[in-house]
Amino acid sequence: MEDLIRHAEQINRQLARHGVKFGIYKNGTFKERLFPFDAIPRVITATEWETLSRGLTQRVRALNLFLRDIYGEKKILADGVVPEEFVYRSPGYLTQCEGIVPPGGIYSHISGIDLVKGKDGNWYVLEDNLRIPSGASYPLIARRLCRRCSSDTFRHNAVADNRQYGELLRRTLDSVNTGGINVVFTPGRYNAAYFEHAFLAEQSGAVLAEAGDLYVRDDVLYYRATHGDCRVGALYRRVSDEYMDPLAFEPSSLIGIPNLMAAYRAGNVAVVNAFGNGAADDKGIYYFVPKMVRYYLGEEAILHNAPTYLPFYEEDRRYVLDHLDSLVIKDVAEAGGYGVVFGSKLSRAELDKMRDTILAQPRRFIAQEVIDFEDLPIMEGSDRVERKADLRAFVLSGAQETVAWPSGLTRFSRNPDSFIVNSSQGGGFKDTWVLSH
Amino acid sequence: MSRVLAFSYDIALAFDKPVTNHSFVLRCLPADGPGQRVLDAALTLDPAAPCTDQRDSFGNRLQIGRIDEPHTGFHYRAAGTVLRDDTARTPEADRPLFRYPSAFTMPDDALQAVAAPLAGIQNPRARAWALLEAVGAHMRYTPGVTGVQTTAAQAWALGQGVCQDYAHIYLALARLCGLSARYVNGLPEGEGASHAWCEVWLDGIWTGIDPTRGRWADEGYIRFCVGRDFADCPIERGVFLGGANQCQTVFMKVCQQ
Repeated sequence: MEDLIRHAEQINRQLARHGVKFGIYKNGTFKERLFPFDAIPRVITATEWETLSRGLTQRVRALNLFLRDIYGEKKILADGVVPEEFVYRSPGYLTQCEGIVPPGGIYSHISGIDLVKGKDGNWYVLEDNLRIPSGASYPLIARRLCRRCSSDTFRHNAVADNRQYGELLRRTLDSVNTGGINVVFTPGRYNAAYFEHAFLAEQSGAVLAEAGDLYVRDDVLYYRATHGDCRVGALYRRVSDEYMDPLAFEPSSLIGIPNLMAAYRAGNVAVVNAFGNGAADDKGIYYFVPKMVRYYLGEEAILHNAPTYLPFYEEDRRYVLDHLDSLVIKDVAEAGGYGVVFGSKLSRAELDKMRDTILAQPRRFIAQEVIDFEDLPIMEGSDRVERKADLRAFVLSGAQETVAWPSGLTRFSRNPDSFIVNSSQGGGFKDTWVLSH
Repeated sequence: MSRVLAFSYDIALAFDKPVTNHSFVLRCLPADGPGQRVLDAALTLDPAAPCTDQRDSFGNRLQIGRIDEPHTGFHYRAAGTVLRDDTARTPEADRPLFRYPSAFTMPDDALQAVAAPLAGIQNPRARAWALLEAVGAHMRYTPGVTGVQTTAAQAWALGQGVCQDYAHIYLALARLCGLSARYVNGLPEGEGASHAWCEVWLDGIWTGIDPTRGRWADEGYIRFCVGRDFADCPIERGVFLGGANQCQTVFMKVCQQ
């Protein structure tokens, strides 16, 4: 471990050369930042991972069944397990997807599940990311550089290999591929996550393409290759739904593929992840995930949610208003650590204002107990200090199997007082070691 | 009483410079549905281009295609005959998504204030009619003051607009008053431009109502496509390469046979 810490600066230099960075919005302007790497890994024991892995795959299987249900038969709505307005008012719900069953019946092929480990030793899920979760490339590249700097570390510690991610991704894409090549679709080299797009394309053997490289004719998606155009069977796209097809979604989008929706609707291409997944990773829907697990799988959820209240329900609303100063309030429409308010940090007047807002728009918020989650050591110069950290675990779902990747992105807050670890809020990251025994 | 209506619908797009890579989606052919049977309908395109036929999630007919070669105009013509008969309609399925606001029908405080006193009218049909009167009393038909991006709330604040705005306002109010309501694009009997109206789910029947003209939309109306609002079912949408300005001419004609 000491060996790794000694090489931290070198590793960070290498990461910068590879273009490992992310975009951040601050005071309304967009900036790019390097993603600082801390060399002390998060360590997850083999038994701990065994439970986590079962819980993660269980959760993602239920979420995929939920998406298939709400865009199809809508049984869970008819049975009143999820109130229909949580679906129909969700900004991520897309009517364009009604009635479409994607190839293999899978909606969320690559899911990023954000968890924290409480001081009580339990893991809690904070958020499901089912649209275009990013971050798998960071621990992958960091591990590669760590191995290069200090191969002994990996000889002496029983760390589960994580280099199979590219292979896993390829298998996932192949399993839903409708005939043709696999493509990673990027908005281009000016995108903050371009490194990840290029790296994952290389790792999975897919072709990296931008809007100008792809077109739809006769409801089939083609890639313009140097030797002639070839059919695309699976499109791993790293662009939000609304920009993907100017003829089906946002008309002003210049980075989309006209009539991609027609090819998708005809069943001629798998879009990875599918369109419309935002209806299942809405912060309001999060509350219902353990109920989905019970409803679709007949099992109890292995992974807990953070204790969550929905002001939409009168009983919860009363509790939330009575305990506003100790809860975390989240605006369901926001993402990336934005729209998160800690009641304890609000003044009297701000609390009153929040109370009024919740009363006026109860559907807009969820409230959660503050989880006292564990601190992880990081190096601050030559000092070892403790900071809050979370884990984004990646779950890959193909037509036949759902697999949790034995690694993940551990993000930490640089600010000693902050609980918000999203990279868009300026934190750093660590490697995540899952021990093999 | 049933009626047989012959229709023709022409749209000509003229570009001031040649364009290429022109992809389009059209929703200009009627589909069979409650009270409406298509006897014949055909689409002709100039320049000629192969089209694929699909249905979107609302059951609307789509004609999808692309023209790669440089062209300075795009003319399409839909024509055919439709049998309209509302006398023998049997109960149709409601869809809950038509009870919730969409981007263009999101109510603001002003629309909520209008809807509040009308929501109490017990009889749904009477409520649907009262909403029509409320829209008619407030709005003045004025072309050119609103655009395709105008929302119901904005049009209400202006007090002016065209059929699309009337329909959006009506839908926002209807949904606030607990009615399932949807947007309809199509052709009414007569000549001129295409039209937009609404359908409200009353006694199990999607019943046509025309807020712009202040009347029920009866057997003189041919339905092309439906959605939650305009954005769900535009009659024509296209993108192309080339910095050209486009000018659009529309002409339609519907008459009884």
